Amino acid sequence: MKILKSWLKDYIDFNLTDDELVSKLSLSGTEVENIHSIIDNQVVIVRIEKISPHPNTDKLQIVEVSDGKEKFRIVCGATNIKIGQIVPMAKVGTNIAGNIIKETEIRGVKSAGMLCSEKELRIGDDHTGIKILAENAPIGQPLVEFIKSDSILELEITPNRGDCLSHIGLAREIAALVASSIKKEPISLKMSSKRAADAITVEIENTNDCPRYLARFLSEIKIGPSPKWLQERLIACGATPINNIVDVTNYIMLDLGQPLHAFDADKINGRKIIVRRAKNKENIVTLDGKGNSLSRDNLIIADKNKAIAIAGIMGGLNSEITVETKNIIIEAAEFNRKVTRKSAKALNLTTEASYRFERGIDPGGIQYAIDKAAKLMKEVAGGEIHSGIVKAGETTLHLYDDVIEYNKINNLLDFSLSESEIDHILKLLGFLIKDGHFITPSWRHDIECWQDLAEEIGRIYGYNKIHPLILSKTASPKKNFYYFKENVKDQLADLGFSEVYNYSYLSADDLKILVSSPKELLEIKNPIQPENKYLKNSLVPGILKTIAKNSFFDNIAIFEIGNVFGKSQEKTKLIIAASGKQSTDFPNKINNFAAKLGIDSDKFKIQRFDSRQLSNIKIRKPDVFLVEIDINDLANKAKNKLDEFNLKISKKEICYRFVSKFPSVTRDLAFIVRTNTKSDNLLADIYSVSELINRVELFDEFESDKFGAGNKNLAFHIFLQAPNRTLKDQDINSIIAKTILLIEKKYKAKLR
Amino acid sequence: MKIQGSLHPITQFMRETIKIFESLGFEVYESPEVDNEWNNFDALNVAADHPVRDVQDTFWLTNGRVLRTHTSNGQVRAAKERKPPIRIVIPGRCFRNEATDATHETTFYQLEGLYIDKDVKVGHLFWTLDNFLKKMYGSDIEIRYRPHHYPFVEPGIDVDIKFQGKWSEVLGSGMVHPKVLKNMGIDSDKYSGYAFGLGIDRLVMKKYGIEDIRQFYSGDLRFIKQF
Repeated sequence: MKILKSWLKDYIDFNLTDDELVSKLSLSGTEVENIHSIIDNQVVIVRIEKISPHPNTDKLQIVEVSDGKEKFRIVCGATNIKIGQIVPMAKVGTNIAGNIIKETEIRGVKSAGMLCSEKELRIGDDHTGIKILAENAPIGQPLVEFIKSDSILELEITPNRGDCLSHIGLAREIAALVASSIKKEPISLKMSSKRAADAITVEIENTNDCPRYLARFLSEIKIGPSPKWLQERLIACGATPINNIVDVTNYIMLDLGQPLHAFDADKINGRKIIVRRAKNKENIVTLDGKGNSLSRDNLIIADKNKAIAIAGIMGGLNSEITVETKNIIIEAAEFNRKVTRKSAKALNLTTEASYRFERGIDPGGIQYAIDKAAKLMKEVAGGEIHSGIVKAGETTLHLYDDVIEYNKINNLLDFSLSESEIDHILKLLGFLIKDGHFITPSWRHDIECWQDLAEEIGRIYGYNKIHPLILSKTASPKKNFYYFKENVKDQLADLGFSEVYNYSYLSADDLKILVSSPKELLEIKNPIQPENKYLKNSLVPGILKTIAKNSFFDNIAIFEIGNVFGKSQEKTKLIIAASGKQSTDFPNKINNFAAKLGIDSDKFKIQRFDSRQLSNIKIRKPDVFLVEIDINDLANKAKNKLDEFNLKISKKEICYRFVSKFPSVTRDLAFIVRTNTKSDNLLADIYSVSELINRVELFDEFESDKFGAGNKNLAFHIFLQAPNRTLKDQDINSIIAKTILLIEKKYKAKLR
Repeated sequence: MKIQGSLHPITQFMRETIKIFESLGFEVYESPEVDNEWNNFDALNVAADHPVRDVQDTFWLTNGRVLRTHTSNGQVRAAKERKPPIRIVIPGRCFRNEATDATHETTFYQLEGLYIDKDVKVGHLFWTLDNFLKKMYGSDIEIRYRPHHYPFVEPGIDVDIKFQGKWSEVLGSGMVHPKVLKNMGIDSDKYSGYAFGLGIDRLVMKKYGIEDIRQFYSGDLRFIKQF
């Protein structure tokens, strides 16, 4: 939701900087995702260096400006500029009131941007000339850092606070935060003697679906563009101006949170509005041009013989406001939240209007909204407002009324607020308070229990005033399956296996890796991506894919513990796999692992995939060995030992290096060094040679007479990669040469 | 020569967090990744006919079950199996149906905490989380509590820490909603409680400066072997 700071000031005077406003809102529960100036920060301050006439026209000039570093040539029509002046320039790509500035050719001369007037920047009304800035304006800096301008707040409004989806709603929040109240101008309308009730009638089939419906009638209006100020407010909040009538309906929605709709009255058969459920297969083409086949789940607005709108969601094309429209009906209604939601879901159509109806509008504010809309429409489109509002549905508001649980509220928050202090906070939020009772304001639909009131008190009084309360001590918690799994991970890491996490899904293609039939698998009904079609029933496909992906590792030793899914059962499995030269050792390691767990190694059935099977799944390795086993079975054997298991925390210093999407290259280097040389020091030094070294791995360390007394061999794999390309030989050679030079010099080492 | 294997960074971070909560008396509880709609949503006051359902994009299975969107699906299960006081943490894998990119994943890990006892107050929650965050990030870490809405708690509270000079959200939490207590079969006049949830992936990314969330599930050993 986008909120324009100056628009809030229609309702409340507050004197808060942007930072203060963000902080106050954040700490009271309105999440501010972003706040930025209405001026694009690509508008920069420049100095006029040279002005020369345009070769092809007298009306334009060619202006040369500088931002201190670069010069720009700009074609400009303004007459108020002189050499040496400091002015704002919108660079190519800048957003000025919804238009993106492009590099253009104006009458044969290229222009690299635009010099701006006050009005173009929306910082004033002057549009006669370029905005001339003070002499001390910092050249090259964004304009927003130098002058004050309006700000746009981008808010995340949680689903419980539909009342904040408007400027008046946010102004109410701010009012409570600064202990003030909003001012809401009463609306006085100049109406004609003609009665709206003579022009239209309204009928509601079921007031549960639509508790109230208000309509006004305007005649002899003139469709055209809406005034600039109105368009600018809409654009700032992300809406697109269409025409004066439609713009007013959108404006009022952003202003007051009440979605409105305007119908062309002459397109409505019998001038009768009926709010009813759609018939099965009833059709309507909506304003977006799409045909919709409706059902009983859709609430619609209809005339005597056809649907003219989907209630609370979108209007129909058949009653649209066009340039020929003369007479209009304004609709301001309350549609049932759940009905609107079900209807929107059925059509997969969410709009600004349905979004608000689903979250609940202010039933107490409908009449104000329709009156303000009528007044504004008359101002911007002329015509006459027929007297009276045509109403259908309920006339009273049903508000939640209950006792204020002062003690429970104070206890939960550990506050000691007096009753009058609590009353005061609730009053600031628009609650009516009388004799220890409260009545919720008509715009709040989220107050259902005393805990909800406690939240209101807490968030306004401030969570920073809550003192931490120590938790009572208890006996050490019991250890269980989780601890067993972590212990297994430690054992496997000690045997040289690294842990991977693979996805829980299988795509249709993955099924080929392990011949499983989709019949055995759980299937996802609504995947967005094709790779999320089924749930895996084995860890094998994932682990084989992992081996395929890591082709630049000579030796791979990995494991995974994860859940797999049969039709009726979820199991936790362990898979251990190895590939490469050293994998011949795999059976030994498995025996070792089994011995440590105290389990018979026969339990572990080693599967071997040979190169022919592997090449079918694009793994270029001679063999892969793997074992997959139900880890619950293993855990049952260890039941009595659980209390011995502790969670080990690694002390390893980690300096993370990014991982490129491009393939890595591996080079091996072996050095002869003195036996007392620490391999860790060499590792650190090799890393320091280049950012492109992703990983250095010691793979061999031994002494031999060949190297002379007191010497040993250290051998490293060095993995190189670049973030944006595949490395070339010359890049690699240069890094390797630097590495050799450094190690030889620093450690008096010899390359083998 | 002995080569040491690496443990996945999420495994390691999860252990560190669990170890801290273990010292505060929290027992590990695990719940299934595929669950029914009741445990994942309705019991937690996330009704199908309310827009709170839309906050999470959910994977639905053709058999009507759901890939859990949070490990909170263990809350009601655990409460049915034991009596207050309940002090548990629920680690595990969760799912979200969305298109993936460097900052969005369909798979993520969460640690949920739940404490139910007589007279549990907001201050107890703050003490617990202060304690955890100071042990995890150092005793001079700045912490702030901010109201936020989650349907399963009331009041709902987000927790930020100051990280490299900027406030950054690390946790969602709150006092267990009376409707949720009722669904657990617990009398909300006698007992109260708090719950919190940590998104592990994002915290690990922050800790190491990992640029792409998909790395965790890539199986790329250039990534894994760094840890």
